[in-house]
Amino acid sequence: MSIKDLLTTAFLNLWRRKLRAFLTVLGMIIGVASIVVMVSLGIGIKQATIESFAGTGSLTTIRVNSWSYVSMGNGAGSSRQKDLNKKAIATFKKIEGVQAVMPLIETYGIIKSGQYVVDTSILGVTKEQAEMFNITLAEGDFPGAGGSTTYEIALGAWTLQSFYSPDNYRQAIDRNGNPKITKDSRMQITFDYRNIYKQMAMAIGEDGSGEPQDPPGEFYKLKVTGIMDQGNNDFSYYSIMDASQLERLAKANKAYTNYDSSKYQTVLVKCKDISDVKSVKNAISEMGYGTYSLQDAVEMAENSTKNVQYLLGAIGGVALLVAAIGIMNTMMMSIFERTKEIGIIKVLGCRIDNIAGLFLAEAAYIGLFGGALGMGLSFGISALLNVFLASSGMRSIIPAYLVFGAVGFSIIVALVAGMYPAIRAMKLSPLAAIRNE
Amino acid sequence: MQENTLIDVRNVKKVYHVGTVDVHALRGVDLQIASGDICSIIGRSGSGKSTLLNVLAGLEQVSAGEIVIAGKHLERMTQGELILFRQKRVGFIFQSFNLMPYYTALENVALPLSFAGVPESVRLKRAKRMLDLVGLKTHMKHKPSELSGGQQQRVGIARALVTDPQIVFADEPTGNLDSSTSDEVIRVIIDILREQKKTLVMVTHDQNIAEYGDKIIHLLDGRITDVVINETKITKQNEPIGSGN
Repeated sequence: MSIKDLLTTAFLNLWRRKLRAFLTVLGMIIGVASIVVMVSLGIGIKQATIESFAGTGSLTTIRVNSWSYVSMGNGAGSSRQKDLNKKAIATFKKIEGVQAVMPLIETYGIIKSGQYVVDTSILGVTKEQAEMFNITLAEGDFPGAGGSTTYEIALGAWTLQSFYSPDNYRQAIDRNGNPKITKDSRMQITFDYRNIYKQMAMAIGEDGSGEPQDPPGEFYKLKVTGIMDQGNNDFSYYSIMDASQLERLAKANKAYTNYDSSKYQTVLVKCKDISDVKSVKNAISEMGYGTYSLQDAVEMAENSTKNVQYLLGAIGGVALLVAAIGIMNTMMMSIFERTKEIGIIKVLGCRIDNIAGLFLAEAAYIGLFGGALGMGLSFGISALLNVFLASSGMRSIIPAYLVFGAVGFSIIVALVAGMYPAIRAMKLSPLAAIRNE
Repeated sequence: MQENTLIDVRNVKKVYHVGTVDVHALRGVDLQIASGDICSIIGRSGSGKSTLLNVLAGLEQVSAGEIVIAGKHLERMTQGELILFRQKRVGFIFQSFNLMPYYTALENVALPLSFAGVPESVRLKRAKRMLDLVGLKTHMKHKPSELSGGQQQRVGIARALVTDPQIVFADEPTGNLDSSTSDEVIRVIIDILREQKKTLVMVTHDQNIAEYGDKIIHLLDGRITDVVINETKITKQNEPIGSGN
């Protein structure tokens, strides 16, 4: 029999018993829809988890540290140090999949405005790096080179709200809850704590060995050019300055900042794509550096949601199993009814593999229609769920692979269910055709 | 053994095991049928005539003995080989017609060709020619339920012959028909087969029907009791066939 004849005949055989075929297909529709909706919820949970991580930082950024933890395999371990210098940065840039590398030129300073002060971490960034690593400002401009005596700075997103008095630790906030210090206030920065906590410094001096004190660190005039964006992921807390300016300041205040221009503590590596992160991270780890990316956290979260997904899938699977048994039952009934017909076509020369093929094709049709209509139902339920679950943070997502996967899977399930009936049909005796009731 | 022996049955036995009792349906049958023979097997019910037809058509395995058709040993064939053998060489006419109720006469006749993988346009053309031959030109689109018994059996005959088989087996082909229709139908069968020089093996319990054969084999209790060569061959009738109900 040609494939076309086989498929046409099988379809007509189903069509002839419309109600029964419909009921069997309905079982399959419910089975497929239940499994797809369950799986789509699982995918939604996973997606929500990943997105919640993405909100806390860039998924394509790897943080490289000069030290790494070496496990000894028995629960103990030691940390080792490897210098992150300019040479290392050049090497990182050559790794495939790396888009940009940014050494964190980072130092700690105290900004003074009138009687109030604030402690802040300052990051040295070039304009290009700011672009690459999505460092954005809520207002104002990126700090430039500034004048000869003035340094430009963009303050951290919450820096203005954090000013306090070093004498009584009162916050610089007025009755209405607004910060008293604004971006236009006059500011100075110093890296020497003794400039701020004078009493403390004196106390140390008196208590000390009587050695002469170092001269106090300088104050530098600041010009605030902008405020960092709160949605800046890793960078919102930092104030930023032009990289070379900051480097100059840090060097001049080496005594307080411990700044070493030959090496960095931390380097950020940005990958071209999320899929590059793993290989780039491994390459850098192999060089002996410590690495961390949000991907690690995402992976852990994915593993923990995997079990939830399996559980949901299994619940849906029960309905599909019941539907598969339904198919088997329908096919068996159909074979018992058609014993004589099968006998006749055997006498007329229908090959037994064609007979098996006819029944398997019927089962496959049930799987196909059940799968396709089940997908339709799934999209409906999914849309409804997304309306009702919107407030709970749960979501139902049906990706394309799930659509084709589910239809394919339902055909396979139907074929497996149709296997035994098909074998039974093959084994039926042609003598059934001869018997006269 | 004749020169042109098509079917050679050698000491065939068939035993059914019913519970603890053995029923001997065939107790050693020897029989030769030549190519082109029109052959009737007659016997009372329980004589083993249906069993003999079934083993000849490869629908049942023999318990002992050999069946050689066109040089091939049927008793050594597998189920699959037997089906292919029937597909290529055998046409079958049933007592209860066994037409597919949901197919038209034309589709029923074309059915065996679809099993052989013949393309639809070719098989419909051949089926039309066969229906024309049995006199049902005007009933091609009718479903079996819209046809009389005699017409249904003509469709059955057309279906048996559409694959151009060497041998046609007929199991009580007139068993479900009244006597006048029976005569008509048997004449259609005999005339076409004679003209196309095909071999017919027909089982019947009706002496009148058996008389249409050239060779009448009498069966009793699983043994051949008599083989009568019918001298008064019934030849083609003058009156045109296929004009009846």
